[in-house]
Formats: sequence, C-alpha cells, structure tokens
Amino acid sequence: MIAPYLALLIAFGVVPIIVAAVTSMEPSALNPGGGPLNYLQALQDFRFLPALGNVGVFLLLYVPTMLIVVAGMSLLLDTVRGRWNVSLRLAYIVPASLTGASAVLVWYFLLEPTLSPYQDILRALGITQGGQIWRSENLAWIFALMAFFTGAGNWIVVQYGSLQSISEDILEAARIDGANAWQIGWHIKLPLIQKYIVYMGILVFAAGLQVFVEPQLISSSVYPGLAANWSLNQLSYSFAFQSNNLGGAAALSLMLLIVCIVGAVFVIFRTDFFEGSGVKEK
Amino acid sequence: MKRLVIGIVAVAAMTLSLAACSGTTNTASGGKPTVTLWVDTPRVPQAKAYQKLMAGKQNIKIEVISQADAQTKIALHNRTKSGWPDVIFGSAPDTAQFLDPSNGFAADLTKLVSKKIFDGFGAANSDCKFDGKYYCLKNDLANTVLWYNTKVFKELNLTVPKTMDEFAATALKLRGTGYSAGAIGDQNYYASFLQPSGCPLAAMPKKNTVRIAPSDPKCTRVAELVQPLLDAGVVDKRSNFDAGFIKDVAQKDKVAMTFGPSWFGDFVIKPAASWGVPAGEIAAANMPAWGSKPDNMSGAWGGGVFTVSAHAKFPQAAADAAVWMTTSDAMATADTTPTFPAYGPANKLWEKRISADPYYASNPYPAMAAGANNISQVDRPVRFAFNAQIGSALQVDINSGKSLEAALNSFADSLQKLAPSSGYTVISK
Amino acid sequence: MTSILEAEPIINRSASKGHLPEKLTAAGRVGRTGVWVMLLVYGLLSVVPMVWLLIAPSKTAAQLNNDAPFSFGSFANYGSAWEHLLTFQDGVLVRWLLNSVVYTVAIVLLSCVSAILAGYALAVTAIPFKRTLLITTLVAMIIPPVALVIPLFIEISNAQLFDTPAAVILTSSFYPFGVFLAYIYFSTSIPKELYEAAKVDGAGEFATFWRIALPLSKGLFGMLAFFSFSASWVNFFLPYVLLGSAENFTLPVGLGVLFSSTPALNPGNGAQQSVIGRPEIALAGLILAIPILIVFLLSSRLLVRGVLSGSVKS
Repeated sequence: MIAPYLALLIAFGVVPIIVAAVTSMEPSALNPGGGPLNYLQALQDFRFLPALGNVGVFLLLYVPTMLIVVAGMSLLLDTVRGRWNVSLRLAYIVPASLTGASAVLVWYFLLEPTLSPYQDILRALGITQGGQIWRSENLAWIFALMAFFTGAGNWIVVQYGSLQSISEDILEAARIDGANAWQIGWHIKLPLIQKYIVYMGILVFAAGLQVFVEPQLISSSVYPGLAANWSLNQLSYSFAFQSNNLGGAAALSLMLLIVCIVGAVFVIFRTDFFEGSGVKEK
Repeated sequence: MKRLVIGIVAVAAMTLSLAACSGTTNTASGGKPTVTLWVDTPRVPQAKAYQKLMAGKQNIKIEVISQADAQTKIALHNRTKSGWPDVIFGSAPDTAQFLDPSNGFAADLTKLVSKKIFDGFGAANSDCKFDGKYYCLKNDLANTVLWYNTKVFKELNLTVPKTMDEFAATALKLRGTGYSAGAIGDQNYYASFLQPSGCPLAAMPKKNTVRIAPSDPKCTRVAELVQPLLDAGVVDKRSNFDAGFIKDVAQKDKVAMTFGPSWFGDFVIKPAASWGVPAGEIAAANMPAWGSKPDNMSGAWGGGVFTVSAHAKFPQAAADAAVWMTTSDAMATADTTPTFPAYGPANKLWEKRISADPYYASNPYPAMAAGANNISQVDRPVRFAFNAQIGSALQVDINSGKSLEAALNSFADSLQKLAPSSGYTVISK
Repeated sequence: MTSILEAEPIINRSASKGHLPEKLTAAGRVGRTGVWVMLLVYGLLSVVPMVWLLIAPSKTAAQLNNDAPFSFGSFANYGSAWEHLLTFQDGVLVRWLLNSVVYTVAIVLLSCVSAILAGYALAVTAIPFKRTLLITTLVAMIIPPVALVIPLFIEISNAQLFDTPAAVILTSSFYPFGVFLAYIYFSTSIPKELYEAAKVDGAGEFATFWRIALPLSKGLFGMLAFFSFSASWVNFFLPYVLLGSAENFTLPVGLGVLFSSTPALNPGNGAQQSVIGRPEIALAGLILAIPILIVFLLSSRLLVRGVLSGSVKS
C-alpha cells in the first residue's frame, strides 16, 4: 500500500541527494581534480557573497512582513462575520493565482510609472521613471513584494482557519471578564495560534531561501541581466549550465538543502508542532 | 522490507518502460537523413523555407529556442549525452564555448563547407574563425552606425559628425533644445562606444588568455568623452528600450541622433509601438572615427551564427543546412529576413530591398556596409558570459547614475573574476 | 515561490461554529472603522493587479501606453490578441496549455492516490520503520521542492528521462505534504473501531481500506487535489530544467520563452517584426492565471471552512 509513495520518496527524495553528493565531487575547469574543493570554490565564487547578501536582505524583508501582516490580517478578519468575511477572503486569495511568469509580468506593469495603475501614487512619491525602481539596490524589495502578494493571501486564509479552531468557551470567558476585542486578539487568540505562525515562518523562510523564478525571468526578459545570479539558486543554475560546472552546482544545492533540512529537523524535534502526530516517542 | 523491495522494483520498471518509449522517437525515419535545426523566432521562416525545399529528400525538423538559451540547452544535452540538434543558431561566444574540449559540441566546418562559401563571406565570418579553423557560419552582421534625424539636423543646422570629437561637439549643441543624442544605458555603451574605441575587455593575445584592461587609454578616453555629455543631459543614461525614455524622448521624436546597430532602423526607430519616428526623417551615417585609420572602427550589437553539431549523424547534410540558412537567395530576399546578411552575395540581394525602403530619408545601406567591413576585432568571442555581465554590471551601474569610469571598472572586475572559471588566464593591464 | 502546498496541517481541536461578534463600546467604534479600512484596503490591493490584467488585453499596445490604466479597450482586442498569440511558433501556446492540463491531471492523480494509500498505511496498518518514514516525510515536506531541482535534473538525465513528460509528472508526484495530511486524517478522524470491526470480519488490509476508509475520504481527496493542483499548475523551475523542447513545455515555462523571445518586453532580444506585443503577453499571463483563480474560487468553501481543520473533519 505504501509502495507507490515509498518508490517516489526513494526515487525523488533520497536518490537525488545521493546523486548530488556524488556529482558534487566531479571535476570542472576550475578544479580539474574534482573532490571537496568544489564546495570551497562555490563559496569563494565572487558572486556567492553578493547572492547570499541579496537573499539575506530579501528574507529579512519578506519573512517578518509575512508574519506580521498575515497574523494581523487574519486576526482582523476574524472579527468580521457573514458575507463580508467570505468576500474578503476570496479577494485576499486572488493574488495567489499570479505566480511566476504572470507575477513578473503584472509587477513589471504595476511598477512601471508610465503604465502603472498606481502611477498617481508613484508620481506623488517622485517616481516617474522605471529606472528609479528597477535598480539593483531595490531588487530585494521588489522580489519581497512579489513573493509577499503571491503567498500572503493563502496564509491569511490558513491562519484564519486556525483561529476558527479556538474554543468558543475560552473567548466567551474572556468576554465575561470584560476583555475588549483588541485584548482578546492580542492576549488570547495570538498566543493560541502562535505555533502555527512560527511554523509558517519556517516554511516561508525555507521557500524564500530558494528564490529563483522572479529574478530569473526579469533577467531574461524585461531587464536583461539586471538580476542575473542574484539569488543562490540562480548561481547554482549558472554553475551548472553556463560554466559547465555541475560539480559546483551540486555542491551549492546540497549546502542549501542542508540548511533546509536542519530547519526541518528543528521544527520537528524542537517545537511542539507535530506533537501527538506519532513522530516523537512518548 | 518486502514493500521496500516492491517499491524499488516498481520504480525500476516504470523507469525502464518510459526510457523504452522515449528511445523509439529518436530514430531516423526510413533512410532519409534527418537534420534538426534549433533556431530563434526570427529565423523560423528561413528554416521553414529550407524544410519545404528539402521535402522528400531530407527530414528537416525545426525547434524554436531563445537565442540566449543556446549554451544552456547544449549543456543540458551534453549531460544527457543525447538529443543534440544538428544545427543551432546562437552567438559567436556560444560557439567559443561549444568548441572547447570540455563541451565538444561544435564541429569543425573547414572541410565540410566549400572554399567558395568562405570566400563569399570574406571578413564577415571572422568571428567564427578560432585558431585558424571555422566552427560556425555568420548569419547576420549587427554593426553600429550613426542614426540621425535629418529633419532635426536641418532645423538646428547641424552637420553629420565625422570624428568622435565632432560627435561630442554636436551633442553639446543639443543642450537646452530638448533633443537627445541617444541613450547608452544598455548594450549600446559597449557596442557603440567601448568596442569601436578598441577598449580591450575580451582581447585574446593568445589561446586561453584574455586581456581585460579597463585602464587602457582606449578605454579611459571613452568615459572622458561621454561623461560630460551624460552630465549635460544630452546623452541619456536610460536604456533605448526603457518605457520612460521611449515615452518622454523617442516617441516625441526628440532623438536627434543615436548610435545603434544596423537593425535599429527597422526594429527600434520605425515601429509604432517602439519609437515610432515618422517616415522620411531617419538616415544612417558612418561611425565617427576615434582617430585616423585603423582607429575608425564600428562595434557590433548582436549578429547570430549557425553552429553545426559534432554529434550529427549526417554531418554533411547538417553543414549544408547551415550553409543554406546563411547564404541562400531565398533567405536574402524573404520579407521576413530581418537583418544585414553576412554572406556577400546574399547581402547584395538584401541591399536592394533596404535601399528601396521609402521609410528612410536617404539610403542607409552604404553606412551599414561601411561599418560591416570595419568591425573592431579587439575583443573576441569568449566562453564566459560576457554579454550577461554587460547587463548585470555595466548597464545596471549606468542606469543607476554611477560614473562611466566606475561602471566600466566594476564590469571589467566581474569579467576578470568570471574568466578563470572558463579556463582563461587573465591579463589585467 | 511560496506555494499553497506549504500550508500547515492544523490538527483540529474543536469544531467551532464561529464566534459571536464582540460587543462594541462607543469608543470601540473608532477602532472598528480602522479595522474595516484596513480590511478593505488590503482587499483592494489584492484585487487591483488581477483586475488590471483582466482588462489589459482589451487594449492595443498604444492604448496600454497612453490610456488611463483602468480604461477598457474593446472585446474585439481579446480576439485579435489571441489570434496573434496563435501565430507564435504555429500555435504552440495551445500545445503548452494542453501539456499543462495533461501533466497536472496526471500529477494530481498520481500524487493523491499515492498519498492517500501511504497515509492510510502509516496510520492504520503495521509496517516496519514507521517512525523513520514519518520523520523522512516531515523533513521532505518542509524542504521546498526547488531545493532538489538541480539534483533531480542530474538524476533524471542519468535515467534518460530528460525532456519527457514523465520527468515532470513523476518528480512532481512526490507529495509528502499530502501523505502527512492523509496520515493525520486516517489516524484521527476515523474511529479505530471501524477498522477493527472490518478486520474482525476477515477483511484484508486493502479490503478494509477500500470498504471503510476510501468512502470516508472524499473531502480529504478534494483537499489533496486542491493543493496538488495549485502547486503543479504554476510550477516553473522544475519543468524549466527537466524539459528541453518546446513541444513538451508547460504553460509557465512557455510563458517564460514568450517573454524572452519576443520584443514585447525586451525589444533588444532579437530584431524581429512580431505581432506579439504587450496586450498579447498580458493575455498569455491571464490564460495562466485564470484556471488557478477559478479553482481557488470554486474551492472557496474548502478554504472558508478553515483550510484544513474544517474539511478534514467533514
């Protein structure tokens, strides 16, 4: 019964890691002897630190914004009932359908002052040229914005869902004690969904670390080269398919993967999120 | 444990059966040679014409790729060791990569293609010559010329500059008139300024050695000349394709003159959705000279090549396809042939068409042809991502308002760091 | 980047029917207004890009540049933009659309079936290494799929599967999140006694699953399919790397090609006279976005019930 899944797990979960480990020892033009030197060279590549910096800034912008806005909006949403609640939730998940290629397209138009629906706002901010927006120091902001709108809506709805599972008795008790809506939200609801928020933070972080589509598409279309090798995954892609250095690419991928696995193991064993799911020994 | 075994067997079986399926699709059909062409969108009509021509004799398969993807795609297939195209359209740096032993995709064409064809190309095929052997055929030349607006020149009483100093002086006369001497914030600064000046950024004094020397006088003189124009606002730091530049300057017919490749006229200046400059205004002139001969070169922005696969099952048929794609009369006279053909005889036919185009105020062909025979050969096609770095270093810095000197230095610095990973020794002085 | 696939499983604690609105004091009214303003502004921000994308193809390239952003062109322009798109590589766009549909359907089926079976096996049957399998599944669930792309490419190319539909379908059908969801469902939502009773009647593991568990897991299947669909429909990096020829591309990958090989967004990408301009590109983006929007809206009941908690229970 478990065979089909087990086959997939082994074939596409475990084997790739082994393959990557083997490949990461392959020789390249830079490292004709092959071996662990690939790891060092990947880290020493002149594009590595900038890419790490880019992704770092991106994560610093993206993860906290997600956490705060998603928690805030789902709490606000929880105070509204009825048809309005349904309509708002539907509205919030609309941007989630604009991902990857269509997200890049839409955001190019939204941020181009000569075409944007927000052009009046942009002008009021003194932005009249695309060049004022599409420059390297702004990229982390732009990609964070894209990623935020793609992901936030779904998460708001999900966290709203977790708020629904809070027992009515607890809230009623708080009301009887004279707590107002704000106090209930801050002191009761938020702590109760805290671990879901933490869990979301880790997933969002792991996904953000792997940012690829947006910078890649911007660089291959609208602004050639603007965000080339901007993220760690793009660098790994460049190693593999532009520098003929699959060894370096595998090494870099593997290092990123290890960061993610460490994060995953942390969530499983150091948080109580999966408590009662049969993972931890009692 | 039993389930584990079953699972592994299941995956193995699935893999095998799928591999078997995909294996059968690749075989040649019934003795007729099959030639697979990978071309970009503008080259599709010529490929289809060839397909029609060869119907019944050869199987011509066409696959459309984006030119920028050529290296990536070949790298993928080098890994899978199958599925290569027989002929691929790309750029000369792609060929430089393909002929490297670590890649091994490019076939030596010196013997597969007749001497008559190579003679017909003349110097136009020089990008394809590596260590005395030909590894590709040049499709088109994209050398730069000086595009200027005759109406504006008349209105302001300007004369067409013959030297770069005159260019700078003419540009400065535009100050305060609202007219522009072009935008440089894209590949234009390299192709129309640095390259014609002979600034060594990918020079190859010997095999596998690349000279990247931004402090060379032929580099520094460019910034010295252009920076004041940029500061005076007569040269634009934006890209020629920037929506703001197009809306504020180009579509208002405010570009008095601009350097640009030979395809600028038909594809950037003329189309209504682009600059939309009205008919009867635009003409092309020779590139102004930095010094006297041989210091009067043009640059190149684009210009594709066809490379033939060393893995081709039918090497002669593949080479013939590449020859046809670059030299046939049909290619040269088709409405869809976009740019200046590199092959001499084909170019003559193409000349007829562009010379008769009523859009231009005067025939732009002589200037295109003059530049085509005079493209700077200082920088050579290299294996590392030279053009991509123009985008991510040079262009980005110019757009964001950094000085041209700083922009060039950071660009050169990135090239110096990139070159060794493709097996080059770097000379930086 | 962040896909809905990463939504967390909420282990439901109490099925609440929704809270009563909190009572408003006079001072609370000001705050109340603030809440509404924020909710509505955020809703507006969410909808504007989609609205813009919906009307963009109604305009010509010149109208897009010069008219007010939310002005409507004409319905005829949708038609002509579509015709123009069809000229791109002999209508390869239709092929991409078809591929996307076929791959997605195959992925949804394979991933959901394997996930439900595995979730059931983990929850109900006695299998060796259960805990190891669970932990591996959790780790795999938290790792973003993108992390494995380059290693998967190496593996797939070694297996001679590069540039085959199978490459994308098989790799995308690995669905640890679904397995975990199914596992939670089968271990908490269906009373153990039901399984026991079936076994007492002499039914084998598979028969028990077929007769008892499957009929009760329609809601579960719907939800697994929803997440699986929304992840695979928009997936870019994996098919981008695993597919080589245009005839095998999916819509998102093809759209990337459309962006980079037509002058609509980048006139410098090759001199060519192309009818594919910005309205056409916008229409292509819309074609990618609309199916997922429809699925989202249709699944709204699923989402409204509080993505996981509500529907798992029902």
